[in-house]
Amino acid sequence: MAVAWISNREVPLERAAEHAAALLHSSRCPVFSLDTDIHGTRAAIALAERVGASYDHVDGAALARETALITDRGGMFVSPGEVRRRADVVAIVGELPEAHHRFVADLAGTVPDLGGANRREFFLIGDGGRQAPLLGGRKPTRLSCAEGGLGGVLAALRAQCAGRQVSAQVSNFAQFKDALTSARFPVFLFSGFSADGLALEMLQGLLADLNKTSRASGLLLPARESGWGSALASTWMTGFPLRAGFTRGFPEYDPWRFEAGRQLAEGETDLHLWISANGNVPAAGNGGARLIVLAKTTQPFAGADVTLAIGQAGVDHDGVAYSSRTGSLAFVAATAASQRPSAASILRLIAGRIPAEAALPC
Amino acid sequence: MLTHIKGGEIVDPVNGRVGKGDLWIRDEEIVETPQSGRADRTFDASGCVVMAGAIDIHSHIGGGNVNTARLLLPEEHAAHLPRPAATPLSNAGWSTFETGCLYARMGFTTVVEPAMSPGAALHTHLELADVPIIDKATLAILGNDDFLLSMIRDDASPRMIEDYVAWTVASTRALGVKVINAGAAAAFKENVRTFSLDDVVPSYGVSSRKIVKTLQAAVDKLGIPHPLHVHCNNLGAPGSADTAAATIAAAEGLPLHLAHLQFYGYGTEGKRKFSSAAARLAELVNATPEVTIDIGQVMFGQTVTISSDVMRQFSARGTAHPKKFVIHDGDANGGGIVPYRYRPDYYGTIQWAAGLELFLLITDPWRVFFTTDHPNGAPFTVYPKLFELLMNREARGEMASSLSKSALAHSTLTSIDREYTFEEIAIMTRAAPAKLLGLADRGHLGPGAVADIAVYRKCKDIANMLGRAALVFKNGDLVVKDGEITHYRWGRALRLNPQPDAAIVRRMRDYHEERYGLSLDWFTFPDSAILRDEPFREVPCRA
Repeated sequence: MAVAWISNREVPLERAAEHAAALLHSSRCPVFSLDTDIHGTRAAIALAERVGASYDHVDGAALARETALITDRGGMFVSPGEVRRRADVVAIVGELPEAHHRFVADLAGTVPDLGGANRREFFLIGDGGRQAPLLGGRKPTRLSCAEGGLGGVLAALRAQCAGRQVSAQVSNFAQFKDALTSARFPVFLFSGFSADGLALEMLQGLLADLNKTSRASGLLLPARESGWGSALASTWMTGFPLRAGFTRGFPEYDPWRFEAGRQLAEGETDLHLWISANGNVPAAGNGGARLIVLAKTTQPFAGADVTLAIGQAGVDHDGVAYSSRTGSLAFVAATAASQRPSAASILRLIAGRIPAEAALPC
Repeated sequence: MLTHIKGGEIVDPVNGRVGKGDLWIRDEEIVETPQSGRADRTFDASGCVVMAGAIDIHSHIGGGNVNTARLLLPEEHAAHLPRPAATPLSNAGWSTFETGCLYARMGFTTVVEPAMSPGAALHTHLELADVPIIDKATLAILGNDDFLLSMIRDDASPRMIEDYVAWTVASTRALGVKVINAGAAAAFKENVRTFSLDDVVPSYGVSSRKIVKTLQAAVDKLGIPHPLHVHCNNLGAPGSADTAAATIAAAEGLPLHLAHLQFYGYGTEGKRKFSSAAARLAELVNATPEVTIDIGQVMFGQTVTISSDVMRQFSARGTAHPKKFVIHDGDANGGGIVPYRYRPDYYGTIQWAAGLELFLLITDPWRVFFTTDHPNGAPFTVYPKLFELLMNREARGEMASSLSKSALAHSTLTSIDREYTFEEIAIMTRAAPAKLLGLADRGHLGPGAVADIAVYRKCKDIANMLGRAALVFKNGDLVVKDGEITHYRWGRALRLNPQPDAAIVRRMRDYHEERYGLSLDWFTFPDSAILRDEPFREVPCRA
């Protein structure tokens, strides 16, 4: 099975790794786009340090909103297990990514076993987008305003909960208020997928208000599990989430400067390293930067200087990934073990070919 | 390889060696003086104090809550100046990599992360595996989890509870068990806002005391070397000394470790109704031989409080500095992250003084442990300064002179003359922690011990001396020279492996499938998940 190409020519893996290392070593401003498991992330960050790269997620915008909620504001959060066992009111904030629809369906099909409630009531804040059937036939009560977007609905909801006047009433508010009054542990399901920074902050403001006298919390269902997992690993390794970089020889966090899409569009970078075994491919038009692609592929990626085939964690090989079902990192065993190497092993192979005084940290 | 550390002033209380002498290392172990007397390498330690590598029994260095604190506060760990490339990623402020390097420079070679949520065991161990040089260990948190509370409510047999504790310790690769404000996190989920030792968790009808006593007995019966590690109720509250006193009394002859006792060393005297009650607690500890404690010393400046005591952290959210916090309702404890600045005002001075009083008034260095509850009282990087305060009463007096006089009037600190000796420091930070954790292979310099050795060049400036070790060896590798890292290596996580009955595994499987809708496999992991060679080292339980 072919695993490595320089341009569109098949080459031995070692040769491709050497060429990738040479490109990275000579690059003046390399940028990485990640979509990989925890060990892939660790190896990518070790390589980024070695070559002075910055890194982002392949779908970084939603992740940036989610991490900014914590870096800028903080908030109140709950584990998914506790939601399943305790939430008697579930409010879905906007549209949730499809990856979480099964969890929501599981919530719809069960009732709490802790805290004394034995029923679960569903509300939908704002426009639910394409997720209408996720409750298995149950219809959530819609909380919406005529205008203002998700942030506006949340603002109106917060104001009405606090007994303030609003210019646009939230639909079905009385029903929501009644549900909150009798609820033991209401939970709001949210994601950076459809909620912008202001909406996420407004939701946390609502939670802060509710918790003055009763309990409530929010469950983050991240836009991309691989993104949230990479953010966690990056945070312990460098102190910062994604959109960090080593361009000055030490880690810096700058969510504007290190947005990979912006760097590519504005021609700031001369080399783009793309890592995704999940079928995502780099967008065309990368500002003239050279391209190294690590992907689950049997052929070279068009336009790439180097293509290296990798497997998918939890399919081709064992790995560790963020699980939004447990709210933590989970071991994912290979379900269809193959010879395809892990992203981590390929990245270590490349890093090992870049001249450096120090050992690799992982 | 044979290494000779020559002519140092050996301080090894376990083996009764105090005075000038030599130390020999063969590969990873300390050995008797070899007959040949020829070394592959020799280090001149004249003018130096030679001790075993230090052990920190309570320092929050990794895991979900620690990482959330990093994420919450990017401004608090702005990048350091670029350093030579000899230490990859260690120039990342407050990273796992920096943590290992900073500890090693002070001569610490083993550190215990004392609050591992069982559900986040893999995350915790992955972080710890990225802490270089030192060995690590974890304590698994129990006591707010539905499974245990239900068993206690339903009068499960002690054997069943022991099996559950054993399963938790084994599957999470922990070195012991911690209970944090027993029952309070579960009660908080039902909107209870304060919780004391004899308060009862709603829905379970089980008191905090009952949870502590149940776990204490299970830990003892299983032969887990480290006694149950207790974070008491009412942390930080005026009058919390009463809670600590009641918890000390609840030991009732069985070993019990009370964490960060300073945070309970408060009375209600004075017009602010906040005073030091440390002298009273020290007296109780002195009179209760089955109790050990660590301090959780406060030092002034910016830090972040990280605790699985979610109820306490929620109540402290208004004190956040800067004004942001995270409160997490987890599957059992969850936790809270509240950044905080300790100011040298009345309240800060009481806290600072109470910690030092406990250090100085508890007479047995085998039962008092050196911690700041990193980073809750202060970051561990203040250790050198704290050593100086313990070993030099003039330094103490000088610092006290700049603090709140009215606060010091509500403390006994200024009347205490005691100064710790090197031998007492070696007991408190080496010998006693090894004994408390059941680590026979470290904490001393006898033949057979792992070659974890710290060599400090003697000077009047204690903080400088103990802050930058002249030499540090980890498993016989020279890792620090003149206070700088010279060699990168990977330590292991020390763990117990008690064998539970197979029935408990079946019960856990059923429980997770029924209550969480998930296979137990989501919550467990093989050693290979860590992706390092030999990530764990097994420590035996007591026979």
